[in-house]
Amino acid sequence: MKDAGVTSYRDLKNMIEKNREVIYSNDMEEQQETATTALHSSVDNITIHNPIVNLSITEDESKPSTSKQQIVHENIFDQLKGNNKHIFVLSTAGKPIYTRFGNENQMASLFGLMIALVSVTQDSNDTLQSICCGHTRIVFLNKDPIILVGVSQSAEPYDRIKKQLTYVYNNIISILTLTQLKKIFHNRNNFDLRRLMSGSERLIDKLISFTENDPGFYLDSISCLQMPSSNRDKITQTILTECSKIKNLVFGLLIAQKHIISIIRMKKYSLEVSDIHLILNLINSTESFKTAESWTPICLPAFDSSGFMHAHISYLAEDCQACLVLLTIDRDLFFLLSDAKRKITEKMRRNDCLQAINEAIVRQPLNLARANIVGLRHLLYKNKNRSQHWSPPFTSPYNTDTLQQNLMSVYCSLISQMNFPGRTLKVIYQQLTAETMLAWATDDVELYMCFEPLVSKECATNAITKLTQWMKKEEDSLFIFNIPMF
Amino acid sequence: MATRKKVLLKVIILGDSSVGKTSLMNQYINKKFTNQYKATIGADFLTKEVMVDDRIVTLQIWDTAGQERFQSLGVAFYRGADCCVLVFDVASPGSFKSLDGWRDEFLIQASPSNPDHFPFVVLGNKADLENRTVSTKRAQQWCQNKNGLPYFETSAKEATNVDQAFITIARNALAQDTDVELYNDFPEQIKLSGSTENRSSGSDNCAC
Ligand SMILES: Nc1nc2c(ncn2[C@@H]2O[C@H](COP(=O)(O)OP(=O)(O)OP(=O)(O)O)[C@@H](O)[C@H]2O)c(=O)[nH]1
Ligand SMILES: [Mg+2]
Repeated sequence: MKDAGVTSYRDLKNMIEKNREVIYSNDMEEQQETATTALHSSVDNITIHNPIVNLSITEDESKPSTSKQQIVHENIFDQLKGNNKHIFVLSTAGKPIYTRFGNENQMASLFGLMIALVSVTQDSNDTLQSICCGHTRIVFLNKDPIILVGVSQSAEPYDRIKKQLTYVYNNIISILTLTQLKKIFHNRNNFDLRRLMSGSERLIDKLISFTENDPGFYLDSISCLQMPSSNRDKITQTILTECSKIKNLVFGLLIAQKHIISIIRMKKYSLEVSDIHLILNLINSTESFKTAESWTPICLPAFDSSGFMHAHISYLAEDCQACLVLLTIDRDLFFLLSDAKRKITEKMRRNDCLQAINEAIVRQPLNLARANIVGLRHLLYKNKNRSQHWSPPFTSPYNTDTLQQNLMSVYCSLISQMNFPGRTLKVIYQQLTAETMLAWATDDVELYMCFEPLVSKECATNAITKLTQWMKKEEDSLFIFNIPMF
Repeated sequence: MATRKKVLLKVIILGDSSVGKTSLMNQYINKKFTNQYKATIGADFLTKEVMVDDRIVTLQIWDTAGQERFQSLGVAFYRGADCCVLVFDVASPGSFKSLDGWRDEFLIQASPSNPDHFPFVVLGNKADLENRTVSTKRAQQWCQNKNGLPYFETSAKEATNVDQAFITIARNALAQDTDVELYNDFPEQIKLSGSTENRSSGSDNCAC
């Protein structure tokens, strides 16, 4: 090939295309064969330079090398092996964006390997979804221009890992908006997204822990702060009165730690649970909200992934640690919302709402013992119409984190069995070594109960009636039934 | 953007089979050389931290296979590269002639935003050999015609010019990585049109 004095890039492209034809027609017979073998062989032919994996080119395999580069790799793999659950995010160019553990810079080659796996399958018009290897499962979520990879060593189901990856993806969208993310990589596909993400890694860390521990993640629901419904109504009404006249205000939420106190919304617009989870995670991971009122852009992916909402975030008062979040589409609304918030707090102080909130925060959560059901240790109760759940505090024997997590995974697998797509199960009774489980669903309720190990089927099913009756009495204070519109 | 701390650059190494791509890597990273030839299968990934001026830069190096049958590995190999290293063997005129093809293939697959100024670095390897057939002048001429690409004659065997070449690779890749401000602008305001209430009717009624 001679330098043909190419002037523009398009000329160049044309030239190549022509040359290519020539090359291909010259060795047509060979071409066909190599195309197929290359595709089949390439997946296991991508290697990563690493003495432990030992797939790489090393001139002398009998003598372990001690060069610095290789030691770094050893540490990384040891580090990775020590943790059960990994989440990686990378660009489709193979550049690292996030890793849950370790230093993503040192894992640059691992990221290269991941993108190669995705790319090779893509080239054969297929999509790589997951790889299983013993108890280890690797799940890929391709959201061009970024790719998320989850690795779990505890036989977690595919759907759950995929949902966790979707949450992490949503968190990234909430920081950037989908429009921006696409635009950035459209303009420069070598972009190092960590630049725009710096400071937000912690949010993702926390969100991942949330997806591992919170029943709301499994149940697609939120949990409410328990309080008498008359108090809740008064609080909601106070917020509503101040806010209903503000143009372009879309949602308002009052939050106490992991629980929602009240919600108001603009007519015709509803807030999806996955978006609320992102808001909760933001509030609970950001200490600075406690000391100053904040004005922050946040994209709610389920609501509208194309643009930012603007959130006025502030705790009600020094002596009342509930966080008010006012969401608007108008980025110039800070002072108006700031003013509204001040008035809300003043009014709440006058009409004893602050006190009601404080009492609710410090009150002992409703104890299951009050239901007086023999052998019942714990439960998850979901009000399906409201997308809200309630769960009592863990009691003996679930005294340690590990035991609580084990119970959560038992719940989790029951939940996926009950909600398996294309199948409607009403009841599951399951006798395990450490406990007996009963899952039960109607159109309105999903109930997961955990009993002592030897509880019989009759005994467990009888408990359903007793419990639902008891819940009828209590649910007024456990759930939010009034979400007013304006 | 003031966050200039972490920089990661993707460097892709292209060239005919057995010109010494893997040997150059091995010399650069492990300070080792072997006469034995083991063809790279698919691609190898390596990481190396270097200081460029006063910045720490992580090079994510993609050492690809020169053999024709691995060329189907996909566009991901080329996409988003910050620098492309073209290697030929000074004792193999064929490998020198192939440079055009490698360069063009890269530009098509990677479609960089500024193809005319994309940082390539050209390495004429095996400079230690007596029987070289591609003259320095000829190679320099070729680089000159391509907008003046940097050219190094290297020997992975004798470790000549290897570190120098990679420093240039890192520096040129970094220069490409300019801080563009355009990501600060906010997307347009959300328009409240229609309703979201019934949108999620398919997914299990999980809205409040
Ligand atoms: N004399 C000499 N030999 C070299 C030099 N660099 C590489 N070689 C030899 O050339 C052969 C091929 O080197 P590799 O580095 O494996 O070639 P490659 O470009 O990676 O080849 P593929 O992986 O097939 O694409 C080996 O036998 C090396 O020992 C050099 O600088 N001088
Ligand atoms: Mg090689």
